[in-house]
Amino acid sequence: MSTTRSRLRPRALVGPTIGATVLALALTGCGGSSESASSAVPGAAPSSAAAAAQDVLAGAPVADVAAILPGSTMERIKQRGELVVAEALDAPLLSQQDPANPDQVTGFDADMAKALATYILGEPKVKIVPPATETREALLANGTVDVVFNTYTITPERAEQVDFAGPYFSSGLSIAVKTGNTDIKTVDDLDGKKVIVGANTPAVTAVPEKAPNAEIITFGTDPQAVQALTQGRGDAYVQDVTLLASDAVSNKDITVVGSPFTSEPYGIGLKHDDAQMKQFVNDWLEQIYADGTWTKIWQNSLGTVVQGEAPTPPEIGSVPGS
Amino acid sequence: MEALLDNAGPLLQGLLTTLWIAAVAGVGALVLGVLVAAARVSPVPVLRGVAFGYVQLFLNVPLLALLVLFVFALPDVGLLMPLATTVVVVLVVYEAAYVAEAVRSGVNTVSLGQAEAARALGLTFVQSLRLVVLPQAVRAVVQPLGNVLIALVMNTALAAAVGVVELTSATNKVNLVEAQPIPIFAGAGVLYMLVALTIGLLSGVVERRVAIAR
Repeated sequence: MSTTRSRLRPRALVGPTIGATVLALALTGCGGSSESASSAVPGAAPSSAAAAAQDVLAGAPVADVAAILPGSTMERIKQRGELVVAEALDAPLLSQQDPANPDQVTGFDADMAKALATYILGEPKVKIVPPATETREALLANGTVDVVFNTYTITPERAEQVDFAGPYFSSGLSIAVKTGNTDIKTVDDLDGKKVIVGANTPAVTAVPEKAPNAEIITFGTDPQAVQALTQGRGDAYVQDVTLLASDAVSNKDITVVGSPFTSEPYGIGLKHDDAQMKQFVNDWLEQIYADGTWTKIWQNSLGTVVQGEAPTPPEIGSVPGS
Repeated sequence: MEALLDNAGPLLQGLLTTLWIAAVAGVGALVLGVLVAAARVSPVPVLRGVAFGYVQLFLNVPLLALLVLFVFALPDVGLLMPLATTVVVVLVVYEAAYVAEAVRSGVNTVSLGQAEAARALGLTFVQSLRLVVLPQAVRAVVQPLGNVLIALVMNTALAAAVGVVELTSATNKVNLVEAQPIPIFAGAGVLYMLVALTIGLLSGVVERRVAIAR
């Protein structure tokens, strides 16, 4: 009897604990929306790639003093002494932070950003702001970053919010399946299947266009999507072909089938209505296309997993919105 | 603004999914939470221990970690649930810990004499808890339970990270095409705020209705 009573009023001391709990609850409640797009992917960033990138940057062009117009964005960057770039830290071959050495970020986008910094400043001084894909336009508009190198596909809608230099690379979406699956060979076979795509990638809209009856499942990061594919949550995974190629190299459970079924022209995001800066960056692209710097950057990154010769860089201004 | 109105369809569809997940998980969390709270004040040491461990575990592990664990680790041991079901299960077990703590604080508001009187009348422990103590305890913590439910609605946004197309995920998709993050996310924020305000107002009304005049 007496024990029962004491259980019903377990302890008078408990008041402060509960207060703290409710406070903690209120605090966690505020942080409702969370973006998990930053799980680091190990691998694909050997230090030899960094060394090779340094060699390329040593030979990269530097702008004439005359090209840095007074009062321009370029001049402001030069006075600040570093280029502020929005780029990912978790995209193998494109922009991947070395887990053992966080200062080292390598890949195609990362090296392009360093080459642009070299062009303006004479040295590859880059400050990276990891963007969420949904905040890139805002980061440019409010001046948090100077440029975006983030597999940023040029579209007419986006071109109303930001300016695009380039395109500086042309990629496309491709299909990966679990190794041994022979049902799916082309994008037409996706109709009626469960298709995994990366959240905030062009595949979210491209797959329903080509396969209207496909069920779309989105995951925040590439490793999650690969895991989901191998666990059977979907029949196929649609993603940029370069990313799929690097996944397939490190994971024998998935296979890339067919060739890309879309064309994704990547542009360098710049603040809207900054024609001087856009012209300046396009001039820089022309130079690195012509002198082979672009090709070397490609060979050091994407070229390590993609078969064959380096592609020809896309023509500047060749797509709507650029 | 135009970007918002043009995409009202997918956003409202996402809102419906959010409300559906929150409603099912909310009911589940309230039921499980009250059971856990009852176990925590029970005279059975094993039950008390298990309930204590349960509450400590789920108060101290981040929800996102639980979601990723349930979505990606369970299939490796052979349990492959649909994504939305997994999210509801995780939200129920997670929020139940918070409900249990709120209800336990309510139990502490019930005067000792109530329990003594119930036992003196010959009610068993379960009867006195069910008929005398818990009804008064829950009435005392209507507002805190409302706050737990608001937190639960906000926490459904984490489902976007594991592939469920609720309001946050739908907002992301719309923004992907429109590229106007500020109006679009502000719009989604207003929708979340409306849901939270509604729950807050309702719990205020319920609290006044069921308040015990002492």
